[in-house]
Amino acid sequence: MGEIWVLVDTSQGVIRNVTYEVLTAARKLKEKNGATIAAVYVGDEAGSIEGDLSKYGAEKIYKIENPTLKDFNASAHAHALAETIKKHNPDIILAGNTLQNQDFLPRVASRTSAGLSFDAIDIDINSSSTLQVKRYRYSGKSISTISYHDVKPMIATLRPNAFKPVENQTSAEVINESIDVPAENNMKVLETKIIPKERPELTEADKIVSGGRGMANGDNFKLIFDIADSIGAAAGASRAAVDSGFVPYEMQVGQTGKVVSPNLYVAVGISGSVQHYAGMGSSTIIVAINKDPDAPIFQKCDYGICGDLFEVIPALTEEFKNLS
Amino acid sequence: MKILVIIRQTPDTEAKIQANSTQNGIETSNIKWILNPFDEIAVEEAVQIKEKSASEVIILTVGSERSLEALRTALAMGGDSAIHITDDSFADMDSYALSKVIASKIKSIGDVDLILSGKKWIDEESGQVAIQIAEELGIPQATLATKIDLDEANKSVKVQSEIEGGQRIVELKLPALITCERGLNEPRYASLPGIMKAKKKPLEEVKMDSIDVGELGLTKESLGNAGSRLKVDSIEIPVIKRTLTILKGGKSDMVQADEVKKASEELARLLREEAKII
Repeated sequence: MGEIWVLVDTSQGVIRNVTYEVLTAARKLKEKNGATIAAVYVGDEAGSIEGDLSKYGAEKIYKIENPTLKDFNASAHAHALAETIKKHNPDIILAGNTLQNQDFLPRVASRTSAGLSFDAIDIDINSSSTLQVKRYRYSGKSISTISYHDVKPMIATLRPNAFKPVENQTSAEVINESIDVPAENNMKVLETKIIPKERPELTEADKIVSGGRGMANGDNFKLIFDIADSIGAAAGASRAAVDSGFVPYEMQVGQTGKVVSPNLYVAVGISGSVQHYAGMGSSTIIVAINKDPDAPIFQKCDYGICGDLFEVIPALTEEFKNLS
Repeated sequence: MKILVIIRQTPDTEAKIQANSTQNGIETSNIKWILNPFDEIAVEEAVQIKEKSASEVIILTVGSERSLEALRTALAMGGDSAIHITDDSFADMDSYALSKVIASKIKSIGDVDLILSGKKWIDEESGQVAIQIAEELGIPQATLATKIDLDEANKSVKVQSEIEGGQRIVELKLPALITCERGLNEPRYASLPGIMKAKKKPLEEVKMDSIDVGELGLTKESLGNAGSRLKVDSIEIPVIKRTLTILKGGKSDMVQADEVKKASEELARLLREEAKII
């Protein structure tokens, strides 16, 4: 049997958690077809990543390193990965559904005539060893089971938080791939600003607290930030809150915002429209705080308090602080 | 400047989605269809560029007869002409083939300086086709744009985009492809005169027989569902059973001020002991 590749995602030199999730998911396929699991780094300098990767079952580590890959450039990254794919012919390539992977994997798919799908929440292989993914379509409104047909490589990205990382120590062989990457002169990075985040990223957060129209104004979002911080949660918002100018668009959860699936989602002053639910409906536990007993959110949550959020949230924040 | 905007018709964001009788697609009969909200932002951006400098805005879509309506909407917003690639055999074409078909049409138009599209289709939940078109055309891309500054004299464009954990600004040489994120602009509503004018704007219909699929490295059979690299086996509408434990007040539905502490304690306890989540 061939190889399953797992792309390594790093953030400022540190391997991101989603990589371990994807390695864990890859092992599920390996159990069925006995494939070799290889972690693949594409970038300017991998550093000593092998210890962490072999802890989660990587048996091989391909390091595709080139100084021209320092600033992310979709064409250059696609070139480097596609050339390595052509050389080693992996059957399956899995990666986290990160912005960067969504940005360059379509180019890789075109270059290698691959099948590609994004944001799987589950993966499997069928009897003929082809990949099958489950993914949301029409936002959270439907789950499609999709099979790859007569195509190789089969590329899929996996939704962060969909797989729980489990360790499985192996020893990994490191293979250094030297690839010529032509300098891209039709794209230049002028400025990169990493904005230090006070809270976790919405798309990767384990817990999220979001505020809606009921927050009444932007200043009141301090209540959301405070309760989020009391449990280490990310802070989000409904479309109504963003459209009203309370908070920036980056915080929007919903069909036209971010699609999230944390273990805990707390909706504060959010009525629970179809389009909001589409972005968070797959959360494990949904909690609603709303003063309207007829709010639709109370029909699709696990726990709730029907009450004035301006009274409930400060009290609940105290309770959360006492617990931790 | 020649600007091309690639659009798609999608179900309305409030549409209720149900599986069709064969359980591998959605029931389309009761759905209200709209111009994909992110493509709307792309159309708006193109029209704003046109208003600042003499430009031509061409709208392109691949889709059934029904998707003509989305083209008309984009024309009513200010597009100049439209291209409708429509053929029954195109249904369920995969992104690999689709991007080749669209790229070949763009090549035949010639001299397109800027291609805009939404960051994703809200039905397929993916923005891969636009990027694959850029790859087929051999042009650079910037995705998730929140600010676009054209420099026509230098044939370049500066784009501010969201990246993991922050943002960055890149400079692309034209021709280039940019996908649009919310926050880039506020799309206008099509005015009544705009809608009237749209009906008279040129619309080109492209059928499969006018596309040389052999030249694209494809066969006629490889287009459409039969040759698709990915096939939908089944669709289910997820039903997550929720506990629906709602804490209410003693006298009315709403928890009163003197009951808030007790309700909060109880909710925190449930989350810790029952849901085991905190």
